[in-house]
Amino acid sequence: MKNRWMMLLVVLATFGLIAAACGDSSGDGDTAAGDETSDDDGSGAGDDGDGDDEAMAEDDGEADSHSDDGDDEAMAEDDDEAMAEDDDEAMAEDEGDEAMAEDDGGSEEGCAGDLVCVGLVTDVGKVDDKSFNQSAWEGVQLLEGELGAQVDFIETQDSTDYATNIQSYIDQDYDVIVTVGFSLGEATLEAAGANPDTYFIGVDQFQGAEVANVAGLIFPEDQAGFLAGALAGRLTETGVVGQVLGTDLVPPVVAFKEGFDAGVAFANPDADDVIATYHPGGLDVAFTDPDWGATTARQAIDNGADVIFGAGGLTGNGALQEVAKDGGDVFCIGVDTDQWETVPEAQPCLVTSAMKLITPGIVDIANEWNGGAAPAGNFVGDVGLADYHDFASVVDQETQDFIADLTPQVLSGEVSTGYTPGG
Amino acid sequence: MGRLVATATPDTDIGTTRRAEPSAMVRWATRNWLTILAIVAVIIGTYFAYQWDSRQTTAVAAGTIRQATPLILAGMCGLVGERSGIINIGIEGQMLLAAFCGFMVTSYSVDALTSGPALAAGIIAAMAVAAVAGLFLAWTAIRLKMDQIIAGTVINIFAIGATSFFFVQGRTMPKVPNWTVSSLEEIPLIGRLFFDHGPLTYAAFAVVALFHVTMFHTRWGLRTRAIGEHPGAADTVGVKVLRLRYVNLAIGGALAGLAGFSLLQSAGVFNRGMTNGKGFIALAVMIFGRWRPMGVLAAALIFGFFNAMQSQLQFKQAFDIPPQFFGMIPFVLTIAVLAIAGVRARPPAAVGQPFESE
Repeated sequence: MKNRWMMLLVVLATFGLIAAACGDSSGDGDTAAGDETSDDDGSGAGDDGDGDDEAMAEDDGEADSHSDDGDDEAMAEDDDEAMAEDDDEAMAEDEGDEAMAEDDGGSEEGCAGDLVCVGLVTDVGKVDDKSFNQSAWEGVQLLEGELGAQVDFIETQDSTDYATNIQSYIDQDYDVIVTVGFSLGEATLEAAGANPDTYFIGVDQFQGAEVANVAGLIFPEDQAGFLAGALAGRLTETGVVGQVLGTDLVPPVVAFKEGFDAGVAFANPDADDVIATYHPGGLDVAFTDPDWGATTARQAIDNGADVIFGAGGLTGNGALQEVAKDGGDVFCIGVDTDQWETVPEAQPCLVTSAMKLITPGIVDIANEWNGGAAPAGNFVGDVGLADYHDFASVVDQETQDFIADLTPQVLSGEVSTGYTPGG
Repeated sequence: MGRLVATATPDTDIGTTRRAEPSAMVRWATRNWLTILAIVAVIIGTYFAYQWDSRQTTAVAAGTIRQATPLILAGMCGLVGERSGIINIGIEGQMLLAAFCGFMVTSYSVDALTSGPALAAGIIAAMAVAAVAGLFLAWTAIRLKMDQIIAGTVINIFAIGATSFFFVQGRTMPKVPNWTVSSLEEIPLIGRLFFDHGPLTYAAFAVVALFHVTMFHTRWGLRTRAIGEHPGAADTVGVKVLRLRYVNLAIGGALAGLAGFSLLQSAGVFNRGMTNGKGFIALAVMIFGRWRPMGVLAAALIFGFFNAMQSQLQFKQAFDIPPQFFGMIPFVLTIAVLAIAGVRARPPAAVGQPFESE
C-alpha cells in the first residue's frame, strides 16, 4: 500500500518537473519567435519574459497543491482517485499551456486611457505560422511604430474559443481588434454589433453587408491565382499542372483555385490537364496537415504534373516540401506570403508565390481609422507574385516579360479571371 | 470417457483413409479461400486498371501504400497491446511524441553527425519515447489498475500539450531518403510500388510479416495471446502475465514510434498536432483487421486506397461530389464491415481488465 503512494508522489514530482521545464524552454522558444517576427521589438520581448515567469510560477503552484492533495487524501484514496489525480494533473498542465500562450504577447493590465491599443486574435494556429497569422501580426507590430500603439495577440487554441478571445480584448478596452481568418467572421460581426465603439479588422472576412465598425480586409485571390496559373501554364512541359489546396469550405481557397485554373488556360491552352485536390477534412485539420499535402503532391507528380501550386497553410507547405525532394525537376508555387523566406526547405522548387499583401493592408486600414475616416465594409488589399529569387535565371525572359505585362492587366480587371466572389 | 473414445475414433479413421487427407497447402487454401480470392481480385483489378491508364493507376497505387504506412505501424501497436490485454487509446499521443522527439533529435544532431546517422538517431529517439509512453500506460494499467481508456487519454492530452510547448518553429530536418533497388525500380508499376519508398514503409511491411510469424508461431506469441484471452490460465501455467504486458506495451510503443517517424518521412517537417487522428484511425484499422497482423495490413491498405482515390477522383473531377464525402468512405466502410462481420470479429477476451495474480 505504502509503496503505491510513494509511486504516486514520484509521478506528481515528475509532472511538476516537466511543468517547470516547460516554462523555461517555452521562454526560450517564444523569445526566439519574437526575434524572428520583429527585430526592433525590445519591449515586447521583455513582456514575453514576464508572461512566462508568471505562467511558470502558476504551474509550479498547481503541481504543489496537487502533491499536497495527494498527501492529505493518501489514507483514504483508492485506485480510482489515483487515476483522477493523474488526469487532473494532465489537465492542469494543459491549462498551463493555454495560460502561457495567452500571456505571450505581454499586457497584463488592460488598455490605458489615451494609448491606442491593437489586439490580434489568430485563427487556430500560432502567430509564427509562417503564413497569414504571421503576416497579420507583422502588420500589427508595424502599428507599434506608426501609431505608437500597444499591441498584443492571442493565439486561438480551438475554433470554439473565437468569441472568448475577442471578448477578452473588449474587456481590456482595446481600440482595434484584428481577427485573422475567414473562420472568425461570424464571431467578429457578433462582437462588433455588441461593441460599436471598438473597431474591428477582419482579415479574409468578406462583408456581405456594411457594418460601420468592421473593415473586412479581403483580397482578389482569384487574381493572384490567375497570375500563378499563367506562370504555371508557361512553365509546364507535360501539360499537367497540379494544385494541392486547403478546404473548399474557405472561399479564398476556392478563389485561388478558380483563378489558377483560368490562368493556366489563358497562358497555355494546351495545358488542359489541371488537376486539383481539396483537403477532405474539416476546418480544424485542412490547413494543418503537411503529411496529406506531401502525399497528395506526390500523387499529382505521379499523375505527370510538373508544376504544383500548394495553397493551404501548412498543408500546402507540406506539398512544397515534397516537390522540393525532386530537386527542381518539378516546379512549385507557394501562396499568401513569399514562401522563399518562410519555407526555405521549398527553395529547390519554389519559382514564386501568389502573395496576399496582408501586412500593408492592415497598416493601411489602421492608418485610415486613425485619421478619422475608418473604412467600413470590404477593403480590398493588394495581391501579386513574389520575386523569382534563384529561379530568375531558370524562368526564361519571355515568360518573365509575359507575366510582367499581364500583372497590371489582371489587377486592373482588364483581363478577367472569370471568378465571381460568392458565386 | 465416452468423449475421449469419440475423439479417438476419427483419428484411426483418418489413419486408414490416408489417401483422402488433403495436403497442408490445400488445407491452407481452403481455410483462406476468401483471402486468396481477394488478393487475386486486387491483382487482376490492378492489371486491368494499369492497361486502361497506367499513370493514374501507378499514382493511386503508390499513394495507397504511402497513406497506409503510418496506419499499418500504428495499427500493429494497437494490436500488440490488445493481444496482451491492454487497450491502447494513447497511440495518437505516442505517435505525436515520437514524431516530435524524432524531429528534434534529428534536427539538433544533424550538425554533429551527418544526415544519415542523425536520421537513425531520430528514429531511435522516436521509438524510445513512444516505448516509454507505452510503459507508462502499462504501469497505470497494471500497477495503478487505472481505467485504460483514461490512461490513454492522459497520454494524448499530455502529448498535445508537451509537443506544442517545446516545439520551436523554423527548425528543419534532413529529408528521409527513398531507398530504391536499382534496376528493380525500373519495372513499371511494380518498381514504383515496392522498390521506391522511404525506409519506414519497408519497415511497416517487415513488421507485419514479423508479427504474423511471431504472434502465431512462437512461444512469445502464444503467451501474448494467452494473457490477452485468459490471463488467469496463463498465470497458472507459469507465464509472468504482468511482466509480459510491460514488455509488449514497450514493443507496441516502439511501433507507434515508427509510425510517428513515418509521418516525418512523408511530411518532412514536424507540426503541432500533425497526427490528425491517425492514431484513432489505427484503432479502427486494428478492429477492421480483426486483431490479426495480416488483417491490419489489409485494412490499412483499404483506408489508404480510399484516401488515394479521394484525391484522384478530385484530380479528374470525375464526379461533382464534395471531397469530404470521400474522406468519409473508409469510416462508413468500417462501420459496415463491423456490423456485418462483427459477429466474428471478437476482441481478445481479457482486454481492458486489470489482472492480479492470485
